[in-house]
Amino acid sequence: MYRLLVLFFALWAGWISHALAFCGFYVAKADASLFNNKSEVIIARHNGQTVVTMSSDFQGDVKDFALVIPVPTLLKRSQVRVVEPGLFAKLDAYSGPRIVEYYDSNPCPVVYQDKLMEARDMVDEEVTELEDDFSNADTFGVSVLESYSVGEYDILILSAEESDGLKTWLDKNGYKIPSKASEVLEPYIKSEMKFFVVKVNLERNSGLTAQQLKPLQISFRSSKFGLPIRLGMANSNGPQDMIVYGFSSEGRIETTNYMTKELPSNQDIPLFMQQDFGNFYTSTFSHQWGKQKNAVFMEYGWNLDGNNSVKCDPCPTPPVPYADLREAGVFWLSGNNWSYNGKLFMTRLHVRYDRDHFPQDLQFKVTPNRRNFQLRYVTHHPAAVDADCSQAVAYYKGLRKRRTQEVNNLAKLTGWEKGNKEYFSYIHAFDHMIEKDQPFGPLPEKDEDKGLIGWFLSPFSGLPGMFLLIFGILLWLIIKRRPQPALTS
Amino acid sequence: MFLGHFLLDWYPSPFHYVAAFFGCLLSQSIGNVLTGRKWHDLKSALITALGLSLLCHSNSPITMVLAGSLAIASKFLLRFNQKHIYNPANFGIILVVLMTGDAWISPGQWGQEGLLVLLFSAAGLMILFNVGRLDVGLTFLFSFAALLFLKEVLYKSWSVDHWLHSLSSGSLLLFSFFMITDPISTPNAPKARYFWAIWVAILTFILGSWWKVHDAPLWALFFSAPLTAFLDRYLKHQKFSWFTDTDSNRLLTNT
Repeated sequence: MYRLLVLFFALWAGWISHALAFCGFYVAKADASLFNNKSEVIIARHNGQTVVTMSSDFQGDVKDFALVIPVPTLLKRSQVRVVEPGLFAKLDAYSGPRIVEYYDSNPCPVVYQDKLMEARDMVDEEVTELEDDFSNADTFGVSVLESYSVGEYDILILSAEESDGLKTWLDKNGYKIPSKASEVLEPYIKSEMKFFVVKVNLERNSGLTAQQLKPLQISFRSSKFGLPIRLGMANSNGPQDMIVYGFSSEGRIETTNYMTKELPSNQDIPLFMQQDFGNFYTSTFSHQWGKQKNAVFMEYGWNLDGNNSVKCDPCPTPPVPYADLREAGVFWLSGNNWSYNGKLFMTRLHVRYDRDHFPQDLQFKVTPNRRNFQLRYVTHHPAAVDADCSQAVAYYKGLRKRRTQEVNNLAKLTGWEKGNKEYFSYIHAFDHMIEKDQPFGPLPEKDEDKGLIGWFLSPFSGLPGMFLLIFGILLWLIIKRRPQPALTS
Repeated sequence: MFLGHFLLDWYPSPFHYVAAFFGCLLSQSIGNVLTGRKWHDLKSALITALGLSLLCHSNSPITMVLAGSLAIASKFLLRFNQKHIYNPANFGIILVVLMTGDAWISPGQWGQEGLLVLLFSAAGLMILFNVGRLDVGLTFLFSFAALLFLKEVLYKSWSVDHWLHSLSSGSLLLFSFFMITDPISTPNAPKARYFWAIWVAILTFILGSWWKVHDAPLWALFFSAPLTAFLDRYLKHQKFSWFTDTDSNRLLTNT
C-alpha cells in the first residue's frame, strides 16, 4: 500500500509540473487570413438562445453577391443586424495559434531584454436601417414570409414546399444556386427550415466593394444548435476552411456528430520558425488534417469569466473587451466598455470540410468542460556561454539534444522532410564548443516513427504505463480471490 | 479500450480512470460488506467502471468517484424481483450529469474511423458471446437504424452516407454492444427482450429527432429501465446468472 501511495504522488507531481509550465514571451501569431477559401462564424449560445454572426468572405462584384442560409426559425427584422467588420480580425488575433520565445539561462550569467507586442486599433461602423416592401408571394410553392433591409442588404425569409420550386424561384429572382444544391434543399424543406436569403441593395449602395460588406448577425431561439455547411459544398471544388468562434456561459463547445480534436500544442520548435510562423502553422494544420479528414479541430479554448484575471497567457492582443463581446452576440454579460461580470467560455474551432468527409451539417453541444487550451509553440534562444565556463560543454551538449528534438517535432507537426541542410547546421551550430577538433560530432539518435508495434506499445510507457500497471495488479488480485474449484469431487 | 484513450487522446490525466475505478470498487466493497455477498461481483463493478470512464467526462476526478459510487450503489439500493433495475453505468452517468453540472458525454469523441469502429464491434461481440445478450444490442441497433433510414433517407431524402454517418458513431456502437446488453437490467424472457430493445430504439429515435437530445440512447435506456421490472413480472423466465450452471454447482459443492 505504501508503494502504491508513493506511486500516486509521483504521478500527481508529474502532472502538476506539466500544468504549471506555462509562460514565455509572445512573438508572433498565425491568423486565419492565411487560409484561402475560408469563412468565419461567431456563435454565441446561452439558455437555448443562439446568436450567429457570419463574416463575408465574398470575393467579386457585389452585384453577384447572394447568400442562401437555411435557418431553424422565422427571423423578424429585429432578429437581424449588421456588425462592425473589424470584429472578426480582433477575435482571430486574440485566439489564433501563437509562438513564444524563451531565453536559456546562462550557467555563467549575462543579462537580457524582454520583448513586447502591439494591439490592434478599433474600427467604428454604423448600422443603417431601412424597410422595404416585397410584394412577391406564393409562386412555385415558395412563400415570402418576411422582407426587410438591414444595412446594405436586402433580406427575405422564405418557406418552400418542394426543392425544385424553391430553386426555380431563386433562379428567377436572381439568386444563383448551383445545380447540385437541390439535393440538399429538399432535406432542409422537409426539416421545416426557413431560408434566409440575402442580396446587396445596389441602388442605395452603388460604390460598395466586396471588402466593405459588413458581417450579418442573426439571433433566434431553437433547440437546434448547429451550422448548415452542406449547401456551401454544392458549388465548391475542393475543401473549404471555416473558423468558428464559439461563446457559451458553461464551457467548451464541441461537435456531436464529428470528433472534436485538439491540435498538438506546447511543443518546442526550431528558433528559425519565428520568421516563418504562418507557413509553419498552415503546414501543421494541413498535415494534421490529412491524418484525420473528418475531424473538427480545436485551436483555442479559454475561460473568459468576468472574474478571471488571466484571460490569455501569453496574450497576442489584449483580451476581448466587453463592447466587442457584446457586438459578437454575447448577450448574457453585464459590464462597461472593457470589464464585465458573468460567466463566459470561448472556443475556437477550425473545420476543413468537403462533401466526402462531412456528409452531415455540423451539430454542436455546449459542455461543462472548462479546461483551457491554446495552440502555443515554443522557441528557445541559446545563451552565449564562454568556452572557459566549466558548464559550457554540458550546456552545448544539452542544446544539441534539444535542437534535435525541435527538428523532430517540426517534422512530425508539419510533415516536412527533416534531412535538410538547414536543419543539420541548426542542430550542429555549436559543435565547435563541444569538441574542438571535430566540428560535427556523431549524429544524435533519431526519434523515428514508432511503427505499428510502437503504437500499440506506447500506452505501456511513462505515466499511463504506471496506471496500467496498477490496474493490472488490481485485476490480478481480484482474479486470485475467486474461489478455486476443488480438484477432486 | 485503453488503446482508444491513447490513440484519440481524450483526457488530460489518468486520474479520470483511477477515480471511476476507485468509486466503483469502493462502493462495491461497502455494499458487499453490508450485504454479506460474495466478492465475485467485483468483475461486474470493473465492467461498470470501464463503461463510465469511456463514456463520461468531467472536470474533476471527484465527479467520477461520485459517478462510480452512485452507479454501484444503484445496484444495491434500487432493486426489484432480486434484480437491480438500472444499468449501473447508465444510472451513474445520468445522475452526475443531472446533479453536478460538471459531467458530460461527448458523442463525437470516437470519430468515424472505420478501423476503430471495427475494433469496437469485434471487441463488443467477443464479450457478448461470453455473456449472452447480443440479441438485445443487435435488435436495438437494427430498429434504430431502420427508423433513422425511414426518416432521413426515405422522408427527408438525405443521401445514404448522411444516414450511415449517424450510425457509425463510436458512442452508439459502444452503447449497443456494452451498455444495453447488460444481462441483469434487461428482461429475462427473450420475447420481452426484443420488445424492450425495440422500445428503447423508438425512444432514442424520438428523443434524438424531435427533442434534439444529445446522447439520446443513454436517456432512453434510463427511462426504459423500470419497464424491465414490469415485463419480467408478466413474462416469466429464468433469471440470468453471471455464472454458468457448472460454475454454480462447483460453488455449491465447495461451500
